[in-house]
Order: sequence, then C-alpha cells, then structure tokens
Amino acid sequence: MDIGYLYIVISPCRSSRNHCVRCENLSFRDEKPNLWKEPKFMALLVFLFIPFILSAQSIKPENPIQFKIKNAGITVDGTISDWEVEVDFDPKKLAQSSIRGKANPESIQTGIKLRDKHLHGREYFHIQKFPFISLESKSFQSKGKNTFVGIFELQIRDVKREVEIPFTLSQTGKQQKFKGEFVIDRLDFGIGEKSLVLSDEVRVIIEF
Amino acid sequence: MKIKKWLSNLPMWLYGCMLLPLLAFGLSKQGVSYFSVLDIPRIWTDEAMKDWELPNSNPAYSAQPVTEEFYYNLPERVIYKTYPVYHPDHEPEGYWDWLHEQEAEIVFDESKLVTEEDWIKAGELLFDYPIDTLGAVINTQHVRNPDFYSSTGMPLTPEGIMPFAQWIVAGKGKVYLGNLSCAMCHTRVMEDGSLLKGAQGNWPGDKAFAFALESDVVSERGVQGITNILFGSAFVEGDPHGKLLESGRQSIIEAYKAVPEGAFGRQGTSILYPPQAPNLIGVKDRKYLDHGGLGQHRSIEDMMRYIAMNQALDFLNFYGDYNSLGLTKERLYDGQPIFFPGTYDRHSDAQLYAIAKYVYALIPPENPNKPSAVSERGKFIFAEQGCVTCHTPPLFTNNKLTPADGFEVPDEHFDKYDIFDISVGTDPGYTLNTRRGTGYYKVPSLLGLWYRGPFLHDASLAKLEDLFDPARLRDDYVPTAFKPHDVKTKAVKGHEFGMELNEGDRKALVAYLLTL
Repeated sequence: MDIGYLYIVISPCRSSRNHCVRCENLSFRDEKPNLWKEPKFMALLVFLFIPFILSAQSIKPENPIQFKIKNAGITVDGTISDWEVEVDFDPKKLAQSSIRGKANPESIQTGIKLRDKHLHGREYFHIQKFPFISLESKSFQSKGKNTFVGIFELQIRDVKREVEIPFTLSQTGKQQKFKGEFVIDRLDFGIGEKSLVLSDEVRVIIEF
Repeated sequence: MKIKKWLSNLPMWLYGCMLLPLLAFGLSKQGVSYFSVLDIPRIWTDEAMKDWELPNSNPAYSAQPVTEEFYYNLPERVIYKTYPVYHPDHEPEGYWDWLHEQEAEIVFDESKLVTEEDWIKAGELLFDYPIDTLGAVINTQHVRNPDFYSSTGMPLTPEGIMPFAQWIVAGKGKVYLGNLSCAMCHTRVMEDGSLLKGAQGNWPGDKAFAFALESDVVSERGVQGITNILFGSAFVEGDPHGKLLESGRQSIIEAYKAVPEGAFGRQGTSILYPPQAPNLIGVKDRKYLDHGGLGQHRSIEDMMRYIAMNQALDFLNFYGDYNSLGLTKERLYDGQPIFFPGTYDRHSDAQLYAIAKYVYALIPPENPNKPSAVSERGKFIFAEQGCVTCHTPPLFTNNKLTPADGFEVPDEHFDKYDIFDISVGTDPGYTLNTRRGTGYYKVPSLLGLWYRGPFLHDASLAKLEDLFDPARLRDDYVPTAFKPHDVKTKAVKGHEFGMELNEGDRKALVAYLLTL
C-alpha cells in the first residue's frame, strides 16, 4: 500500500509495530493489551499524534512550482499549482531529515489553455496514467550557512531519476522557508520528444 | 618518351573506353544523376496497399483498393501532346481549325529519359496531362461558351488561356477536352496573371461543374447520381450526403456553387465539407497526404501510390460492401472494363515516378514580402503564442496528425502514426463524414501562405486576418470564403489562437506569416 506522505509520520510507529489508521492491515498481531479496541485509547492516541503530525509540517504551498523552458528562443514560464510537501527538516540532523513532495500535473499552466491540455496527454505527462509527479529526498549536505544540497528521487511518468537540488533555508522561529532550483532534461523523463524548437532542458523553481 | 609514344599509338576507341567509368560514377557527382528504368518501383502491390492508407474514422469502412492483379491488368496511359484552351474571345484566329488538322503526337517515352532533369521535365508534362476525355467535369461545349467563364469567375492568363484543362489531339480531327490533370487543382493563376504550378489552385471546379449540370439540363436523377458517385458515404452516421441528395436538384447545384476557388470537392471528399486544394510546393517534406492524412508519405513510392489512387482509382474502392459507382465485387473482377473517368486505364510506374519527381522538384517563387521590423515582432509573437509547437520551423509543420472533435485515437495508432493528441476544434465534418475521413487533420505547413488562400482545411476563411478575428467564433458570422449553401451565417470554430492579441500584434503576426 502506498501510504504517501504519512510515511514520515508513522515511520517511528512502524518500528514499534503500530500501524497507521490508513493502513490496509488493521488487524494487529499484538492482541494481548487489546487497547486498540478501546475508544478512549484511540482518542488518546489521536491527541498524542496531533502535535507530531504538526511537527512533520504537511504544507500545501501558496506559491506554485515554477518552470521555465525555451521554445523557439523564447522562455515560456509555466506553473504547477496543485502540489503539497511534507517536511521534516532539521539543519542539525540532516541524516534524519526528509522532504517529500507530490504535484498534480493536471494543474499545469503555460498561458495557453490548449497547450496545457496537450501537456496532459500521453506525449507529455499522460495524467490519466501518471496522475502525480513525486520528489523524495535521499540525503542532504550542508554547503554553508542555510545553504544545502539535497539528493532527491524525482519521478515523472514512470521514470525515476536522482536529481541534485541546491536550496536555501530561511528560518524564522519555527517557520521554515525553502527555495531550490534545478534543471532536468525533459527527455530523460519521456516528456515530449526531441524538438527543433523546444529545449530539452527545463529549469524548475520550488519555493515553500 | 617510350610511354608517350606508346600512348600516342593507342586507338581512339580505347581512350573512349577509359572514359566509361567516369560516365558511370564521376559525372553523377557533378550534379547530373543517371537513372535506370530498372530502378522504378512497382507501387501497387497487395502487400504495400494493405496499410499504406490510414483507416477510415469508422474502421469498418476503410478503403479496400483494387488488387495488384487488377491494377496491372489495366492498360497504361498513352500521353499525347496537348494544347492550351483559350477563352473564346481570346482564341487566336483559326486556332480551332488548326487544332483539328494536327496529328497525334505521343510525347512520353521513358526509354529516352536518362538524367534526373529528364524525368522532372517529363513529370511536368504528365502533371499537366488530363487523364479524362469523357467530360468528367466539363466538356468542349462548356469551354467554348463565353458564359462558362463569366458564370464561374474563371481565372485566365493574360493571353486568355484557361490553364486548368487542355485540348488533347488523339489523331487528325480528334480533339478532346481533357479533364482531371494534376494541374487542374494544383495550378494557381496569380494576381499578375502568371501561373504558379503546384500551388493551392484557384480552379473554380465545383462552380464549373454546376455550370455543366445546369447548361446540360441534367435531370434531378442525374444530378443525384453523379453527386452520389462523387461524395456518397452512406455508411456515415446520419448520412449527410444522403440528405443532400434528398434536398433535390437545385439545392445540390447550389451546394456545388458554394465551393469557392481554392477548394474542390474531389471524389471521396464532399461539397458539404470541401477540402482546401493542397499546396504541393514543399510536399516532399510532408509525412502525410490529404487533409485527413489519409496517405502515408514515407518515400517516393507512397507519393506514386497517392497519385495513382487519387487520379480516380479510388472510385473502384470498396468501403465495407459499399462502392459509390454501385459496383459489386463480382462485377469489378469479372474482367470487363469499367468505363468511368480514370478507372479504365492507369499511369505506368515510370509515369508515376516522373510525376513524383516533378512534384518533389517544385520550388516556391520568390516571396515579395521581405522581413521588416514589424514582421520580426510578429516572429516573436509567433513563438510566444506557442504557434511553433505545431507549426515548427523550418517546415512550419510538426508533420503530425491531430484528432478531430468526436474522434478518439485508437491506442495502436500512437505506435503506427505521428499523433499530436489534441484537437484544435476545427470543423470535424470532412474527416468524420467522408470516404477519405480518417478522424484526423494533418497539421498544415505555413510555408507559402503569401500566395495561398482561402485558409483552413475547409477553405472557410479568405484572409489570414480572418483567422484572428474573434467575430468568426460567433454564430452570426458570415464566413469569408466557403459557406455552406443552406445557411446564411456560420461560426468558424477552432484553432482559436492569437484571438486575444491586440490589433498591432495581430498585424505583426500576419506580416510575419506572409514572409514564410
């Protein structure tokens, strides 16, 4: 089962053989205490978890993902507005940190509606078959004050590739703001075909 | 010295032999190539014809062409010398009598064709050569009647020549009006009266046919019969052509008259959704032929097949059990000839090869619209508006097929054809309701827009400016070129790009398009 963003949240629970309520396996092996059947216990568990969930910072960012691609010598600016990200990032504990994101390519906008519709099609994002783009951190490295490089696994369509994303973090109190930019070759992910006018390289800007 | 002396004693013929390898290899590198008739492909094979064309939008009614055996049993066409047809008021004195005194002269002899240039030259002759002398569209009486020209708005050259038909002299006193040459639909009389061969033609063919039907006082049954042969597609949902036939003689004739110059209801298409006459200049680089991309164009052989099929052999096609001539398969293959224009003989493979070579060699005339500051701004807008995605330079087409509204692309087509999987919403009638319909429209090249028009696949817009006029999307719009005979207004929908540009940007974009 794909447990999506909750992986970050429940992973500690997994180690203690507990399961998330969204998991398919709701029959638990540790029958003895059988506290799971107690509503009060469940309520307590929910209350206990709420602060934990909040600390994992599931965000639906206001800013869309931006991308830029050259088409016939002109830079086309596009966005993907429907996306969310799960952040558990501590600059002092990079090994334990994680960032995961998921974007819906159906929300792509390039300023021309018919072009956007075409980008949904099988030559490009093929949204019927691949409704999400995902990004998942593998490791982080500090590159100076508030500057990092993350190795991420990016999946577009059915292609997964590692990408290196340099990013900055600005922190005000508990609020974290990230900004990263990277370049991909769209052909690596089967996005369209080689073109005389459309560049292979796409610059992606993520801010949340 | 001894060698010099020995060489000087050699006979001349031996020197000649030494030059032979040069003839075989060396000279071809200097721009002259030699061609052996043995290299001419055999184009109409059962294997090749099986999947050369795309299926009909309703695949149960995809065209079934005649067999290889049937095709090659047809006699080859003899190509006679032809003579120009003049408007009666411009005909040189004594011309008509002089024509009748001429002997037949056979002008195509493949054994005399050696160089590439020879083949191209012969191809031009064949391009101009009418394949019909039965009066398929018009006949002698029509072209010798001055009313024919005034009633059809027939373009003429400054000499008064009507360049879309030719006189064929098949013997002394045997002077026939020839119809159905390639040139008939693909010759344009330019504003200055010059001829541009291969361009989107401006032969008012359907108006000419309407004149013929009216002046010959063809009966209602006759008008219905020939219209059914040309466009009948009873297998199409709703049978729009059946409804046209039911509408009666005058209504059908009005439908012919409604087709403007630059479009032509050729067989298998429709006068309800008439196709724009294609521009052949640059066709060598296009991957599909016909507005619906019916014929694949992967090699010169495909081009030859297309020529053979479209010069009337498609009248013999079956669509399911339907044949528009009313043939049964038993009748088709009973060994008796079928006397219908273009179906009782065929071009030889060599003739087809020559025509294809000529068509490939067509080059555009010099464009009088030179780049300017305005057109350069238009070039930027062209890119900015995303036009380049489909009309990709340098061909200004991405050579793909776009599905029409109402057609769902079958999965297997994505691997077989070049599909650009989005509809631009233009009128789907042609590609969904005709014998040639595939469900697609090919992305047209924008090269040579300056000498072309009307525009869109159904020739509904007279000028490029009309394409960017938002008024065309309204139901009260009067199309500036093709407008169906039975409506007063009609929205010209689809391809709604550049509609939001301001007037200055629109002008700049059009200025750029006219430089292509």
